[in-house]
Amino acid sequence: MRRFEYHKPETIKEALGLVTSLNNARFIAGGTDILVALRQKKAEIDNLISLRNIGELKGIEYGDGLWIGSGTTHTEILKSRVILEHYTALNDGVKNLGSRQIRNVATIGGNICNAAPSADTACPLLVLDAKVLIAGINGERWVDLDGFFLGPNKTVLDKHELVKGFSLPLFPKNTGSSYIKHTRRAAMDLPILGIAARITMDDGKEGATCREARIAMGVVAPRPIRAYETERFLVGKPLTEDVMEEAGNIAAREATPRDSIRGQAWYRKEMVKVLVGRAIKNAMERMGL
Amino acid sequence: MNGDVLSLVGKNIPKKDAPLKVTGQAQYIQDIKLPGMLWGKILYSRYPHGRILNIDTKRAERLPGVKAVLTGSTIPDIKIGFMKDNPPLKKGKVCSMRDEVAAVAATSPEVAQEAIELIDVEYEELPGVFDPVEAMKEGAPLIHEELKSNVLKLPWKLICGDVDRAKAESAYIVEDTYKTQWVTHCCLGTSGCIASFDVNNNLTMYSNTQIPSLAQRDYIDALNAFGLKNKRVRVVQSVIGGGFGSKLDTYPYEYIAILLALKTRRPVKILFTREEEFFATSPRQCTLTKISQGCDREGRLTFREMEMILDNGAYTSWGATTPSVMMMPISSLYKVPNVRYTAKCVYTNNNYSQAMRGYGNPQATFAIESSMDQLAEAAGMDPYEFRMKNANEPGEVTPQRFKITSCGMKECIEAVAEKLNWKEKRGRHNGRGVGMASLIHVGGGARVYKSDGCGTIIKIDDYGKVDVFTGSTDIGQGSDTVIAQIVAEVLGISIEDVNVINNDTDVCPWDVGVHASRTTFVAGNSALYAAEKIKAEILTIVSHMLGEDVAFLDIKNGVVYSKRDKEKSMPLGKALRSIHYATGGKMLMAECFYDPANENFDREFKGNLSVSYAYGAHGVEVEVDRKTGKVKILNYVAAHDVGRAINPMLLEGQIFGGGVMGLGYALGEEMVYINGVLKNGNFLDYKIPTAKDVPPIETIIVETVDKDGPFGAKGIGEPGLVPTAPAISNAIYDAVGVRIKDLPITPEKILKALKEKGAEKLDEA
Ligand SMILES: Cc1cc2nc3c(=O)[nH]c(=O)nc-3n(C[C@H](O)[C@H](O)[C@H](O)COP(=O)(O)OP(=O)(O)OC[C@H]3O[C@@H](n4cnc5c(N)ncnc54)[C@H](O)[C@@H]3O)c2cc1C
Repeated sequence: MRRFEYHKPETIKEALGLVTSLNNARFIAGGTDILVALRQKKAEIDNLISLRNIGELKGIEYGDGLWIGSGTTHTEILKSRVILEHYTALNDGVKNLGSRQIRNVATIGGNICNAAPSADTACPLLVLDAKVLIAGINGERWVDLDGFFLGPNKTVLDKHELVKGFSLPLFPKNTGSSYIKHTRRAAMDLPILGIAARITMDDGKEGATCREARIAMGVVAPRPIRAYETERFLVGKPLTEDVMEEAGNIAAREATPRDSIRGQAWYRKEMVKVLVGRAIKNAMERMGL
Repeated sequence: MNGDVLSLVGKNIPKKDAPLKVTGQAQYIQDIKLPGMLWGKILYSRYPHGRILNIDTKRAERLPGVKAVLTGSTIPDIKIGFMKDNPPLKKGKVCSMRDEVAAVAATSPEVAQEAIELIDVEYEELPGVFDPVEAMKEGAPLIHEELKSNVLKLPWKLICGDVDRAKAESAYIVEDTYKTQWVTHCCLGTSGCIASFDVNNNLTMYSNTQIPSLAQRDYIDALNAFGLKNKRVRVVQSVIGGGFGSKLDTYPYEYIAILLALKTRRPVKILFTREEEFFATSPRQCTLTKISQGCDREGRLTFREMEMILDNGAYTSWGATTPSVMMMPISSLYKVPNVRYTAKCVYTNNNYSQAMRGYGNPQATFAIESSMDQLAEAAGMDPYEFRMKNANEPGEVTPQRFKITSCGMKECIEAVAEKLNWKEKRGRHNGRGVGMASLIHVGGGARVYKSDGCGTIIKIDDYGKVDVFTGSTDIGQGSDTVIAQIVAEVLGISIEDVNVINNDTDVCPWDVGVHASRTTFVAGNSALYAAEKIKAEILTIVSHMLGEDVAFLDIKNGVVYSKRDKEKSMPLGKALRSIHYATGGKMLMAECFYDPANENFDREFKGNLSVSYAYGAHGVEVEVDRKTGKVKILNYVAAHDVGRAINPMLLEGQIFGGGVMGLGYALGEEMVYINGVLKNGNFLDYKIPTAKDVPPIETIIVETVDKDGPFGAKGIGEPGLVPTAPAISNAIYDAVGVRIKDLPITPEKILKALKEKGAEKLDEA
């Protein structure tokens, strides 16, 4: 493994100063992606700047929306009642992420900034309309999460910027969300496919129609994506078995998975058809219909 | 002895080395450092098949800290392995990605790694062949040109009775083809060794081998070839983090360490990274099996015919000899009078294969037990009834001339059916299903080598504390504890008073190795007889001291006592001191070399391979998601005829461990080689089951008290994973009506089969 210097700033300002002034510098949060990349010689880094001692990046706040600091660990997210009740898809996302040891150190910021097509918090955050707050030496900016990902391990972040956290809106009462991680193993596995759904219904009664829908898919494209066509299809419809099945078919057309040793393309497409319906169902159940 | 109440045998005694392991004090090869030690690293091939045109080591040699660089052309010409086809460092040609091309010794692992990267090798890439069927074709690239063929010259052929006639006379016949995949042992402790020479060129190897005596011999042969005649070789084993067959041979890296140590005159350590452990150790090979079986109108098996092709990889280790053990289930799992089996091992440009837990038995049993269900269906019988009808029984002599002594196969099958609620759950085809499979394995040693023996030396000190020197190795299975239990039981002392030394060829007697589930049986018997000898000597002397007939004396709780006269007793320590501190005094010692009365196969591969045979049956209930192809194990029952459970807890550990390994084999594990390149050499993509994937495994221990086993015990090391895959596959068939014939049974394969079946149904309609 390449040798590197390790820096421990205590404020965002200090961290941004370091990343701008040092050569080949990168942030490290939990280190569960970056250290693997270093060992595999996939990253050439001379300076690691730790974000772990920066209090400003930590914590979950709930008020007129939800704020999650980028340095929040998956275990902290898993423990949050607010997230479990109002942003359930995200709870689903971290529940089976890695293992307990990984969840204890790995952060949501790292998961999103690493921008793997399989990132388990990405689809949940996409359907929960997350916005990303980015800080640079020249100030801050907001980006929709959907506009944040560019490709595998590529984001709109400038190399001297960091993510402060994520902001999620309040949703109306008749809203439910879910995430299904389709894996070969029950733990320590990356998804073959990830499907998230958020559904807001017109009113809470049986026979109601869908007012707003979000469907996101992981590992079907170079980055986690929204299934816009499927979402449009769902709006205004009662969510019957037939509608959900058709939604699955539409989503499968929006998916462009590839063959890999982790899963074959035909199988991933087939699973999109099955799991979109199941994810919608799970979301509806959480709505308390 | 067996009539008496046992105080330690049959008890759940925790592994003796458990405290050392959980507190981190156990010394694995990773922990051992010698003064002045250098670190060795190996450069592997860049191509699966190619000519080495030139190796330039100059840049590596100039790197500060580098003490030696070796290549195939700078070392003596030796070839290692079962067929002597494998030079430790390759010269002229590479035949697989794992081929060792050059090696470095340096002052730190980092420098050694850097040096390796500075070695420039020029290759001419050659076309490769990666499939054994392709490799057998006319004009296929030859792996070893001088052999003129890729098919190994090994005569695997077993013929019993008259298969052709039996075929003609059978009422029902089924035929199919089964495939198994490459899998690897996944030892938690990676491979490693330290080679160290003394001033007289005697070698000490620190190693995690599971065959110390055979390894010693291999190293002596190598030293002879290096011109070091008549040298002593001592093998010192560290604590071993798992073997499973991976350490049954000596490998290029060990010879490379020896050569580097010889060249530098300093100890040299080579330690595998996890990546190397995946791509540079020898895995269980893939097989292609054609099987046909028949039965008569009543459902009695008439014949079994199997043809098998095994991918040997580029060189030869014990993997190529697994057909000899496959013959066991093929000829003797269930009563089958007529048997024909042939197997071909074929060189390819893949990594070379090794035996792994079960030694071929899992591959053969997957085909046999899947086919048993097919045949039962053809004959219109319940697979459970069909198995019971054909099950082995005590007293039987099988077509391969195995003499079956103790045999609890029927009890195992029955127990599994009962626990699974078979009658009620079978045949619902509603997405849930049950399946079972049985097994036979050697349970009383296996005479695959010229000797199947194990030696034990016992000495006892002035206080009744015992040192047991056994040839047999503990690779994590707990044999040190079982041996201590046996000795303590015989001597009537506590287990804490028994110290087992099992890691140094300078003091431990010979043993053929930890394989064939033989340790409890062979090393156990060896220890038992040695303990009985020393006990007899103690009692004889004490009988004079106490003036009591020796026939009435025994030892219990560290006291020698008379069974008929309470007054006559003496603490063991006192007795021993009296024996020691007398004119012409004596320190007591005893030895035993136990070699079981089993037979090497004759030229037709017949003979009583083992003194006794282990049986078992596994039953599984599964739920299959028809939409995703995912399989959930709802229930897992494992029944084993073990003779006697000397330590039920450790025995269950073997069954759990075997079951988990079998589960991985059945549902997830596969080394993905594409054109000779391993694509998933890591624990993310090589899917061993995690704790969360393992269902509770219910064990049923059937005790048949074998007449030859120590306290009646038979082997259990391997059986736990033998029937897992077919049991699961049969359950999936019962659940959703599709049979997956190539392992692992992935959701993709199930879904594809379900879709094909659906399409067929539509066609019919
Ligand atoms: C054994 C194991 C199992 C895993 N299982 C899963 C799984 O099931 N699902 C899954 O999605 N992932 C999994 N991962 C991947 C990883 O754990 C997650 O992606 C994790 O959330 C990364 O967070 P981290 O804090 O460790 O990131 P780090 O490794 O510290 O950082 C990752 C990247 O993000 C950058 N970064 C981190 N924080 C910021 C910030 N605030 N601003 C800007 N850039 C930043 C870093 O520079 C780096 O490039 C697994 C990893 C391992 C080792």
